[in-house]
Amino acid sequence: MEAKFSANAKDVMSKRGLKEADIADVVNTAEASNRKLFKDGVNLAKKRIGEVTMYAVYDNNGEVQTAYSHRMVLGEPVKTTDEPDLSDWTCKHCNERAVIGSANMSYLGVTRTGPAIVCPKCSDVWIEEYLATMTIAAAEGLFEKKKA
Amino acid sequence: MGYEELFPPYNMEWHAHATKRFANPFVGEKYDRIDVDPVMLSHAAVACGYTIRDFYEKPELGIHCLAYIYQLYDLLPVTHWFYASPWLAELGCKMVQKDTLPPIPDSTPVETLEDVDKLEVPSEEDLRKGTTYPQYQRLYEYVQKHIPQTFVPISYAFDPVGEAAALCGVENFIMWTFTEQEAAHKLLAKFTQTGVNGALCTAKDYGSAMLVVASVLANNDIFSDEAVREYSVKYMREYVDKSFRGGAGPQIFYHCCGNQETAYKEFDNLVWSPFTVIHVGYSGRDVFPTETLVKTFGNRATCMGTVDTKLLINPNPKAVYDQAAKQIVAGRDSPRGFLIGAACECPPYTLPANILAMTQAATDFGTYGKW
Repeated sequence: MEAKFSANAKDVMSKRGLKEADIADVVNTAEASNRKLFKDGVNLAKKRIGEVTMYAVYDNNGEVQTAYSHRMVLGEPVKTTDEPDLSDWTCKHCNERAVIGSANMSYLGVTRTGPAIVCPKCSDVWIEEYLATMTIAAAEGLFEKKKA
Repeated sequence: MGYEELFPPYNMEWHAHATKRFANPFVGEKYDRIDVDPVMLSHAAVACGYTIRDFYEKPELGIHCLAYIYQLYDLLPVTHWFYASPWLAELGCKMVQKDTLPPIPDSTPVETLEDVDKLEVPSEEDLRKGTTYPQYQRLYEYVQKHIPQTFVPISYAFDPVGEAAALCGVENFIMWTFTEQEAAHKLLAKFTQTGVNGALCTAKDYGSAMLVVASVLANNDIFSDEAVREYSVKYMREYVDKSFRGGAGPQIFYHCCGNQETAYKEFDNLVWSPFTVIHVGYSGRDVFPTETLVKTFGNRATCMGTVDTKLLINPNPKAVYDQAAKQIVAGRDSPRGFLIGAACECPPYTLPANILAMTQAATDFGTYGKW
């Protein structure tokens, strides 16, 4: 699948310092490996590139709607409840509804727990856009400040 | 004369030391000792010669007292100011200042089930024109101007179950949780959304907003574990989740007070951020055991152990020292860091010797590299 970028997507990516080639790589890797989440004709893919985990939200034609990233390294899920709320996303690899959960995440040598979307079968972990661009970004900034 | 003229210059050398120490639990450092947070509010005003009423009626004076007195006790480098009934004025309560208490509502605007339906959630714009948020705007402007090094933007939902109960009367609310569950949930949802809107105002104006949310009325003296889950944890989760979606956070302080003897397990299902502190007050009549706190939550949050607030007004600093030491020894190796605090707000007339006993215990048993 060839990733396509609307002017709006290009604008968002430019503001977030994301390169088209990297996001195309995220999409291609997800399609080749079947490792992605999906809902209502929309896919969520991720890939660690360098020091950053990049995400692409794209439709079934490869049209990228948005892209974002975080620097924290995602770790294993942290089980907090036997009855987690279901997310809107389904894991393509497992065909299993992903849940709203928690996962370990590491940055600057520190591991802490944060909110995440988790596939209950394969335990893959994902961060949604609002969290990556606000809560997690702010947490990264706080880590940098407190570590300074 | 402004309140800032009542205080000598802030000790920036102490602040640098306290700031480095305060970062410990969040970034895995081991500097100095375990921090002490006695959840101080109006005690700071009393310690500076003012009154409980002054603390709540004059927030700028209150928070400056706190910043000053924290230096005396060698506590935290950041300030907070709050009372346990935020946003009730915007939901129709008349808030009354008291001589010996924080502001309290003297009316219950929700008397009937129809009133629940009629109650309107104030929008962000409404909150900006209300009482609670503008008070915080004025307070934060003062802090940023006069003691900016202590500033953390914080938004409070405090205790959603307690606030919903304040709107309709505690007995009424508890009865509704059995007989009119839909109304109880509606009221909780409306208070929670009001708190979320407050958090979003704070996040928009200050770039972030630490979230303080509690489960106080919802405890095992009154509620079953299932009721704590259904009426408290659900809305604490909702508050944090919705606030995060609007850019608030990333810091969260979960204050679970009262008797959480078995209900503490329900807090497992809260939302966890990389900067979360969880604080559980009591198990039955005893302070909540730090061993259980760390075992349950230590792998996902910074744990705050507790000293019984009742001890803080007893002329027996050794009892405070012994209990603080026991809790510190049980919690100091918690994987996401540990603080020692009071089980709830330190009483206004807390004896200074008892706060000294807490910090002495933190030094004797919580100095990194000494155990």
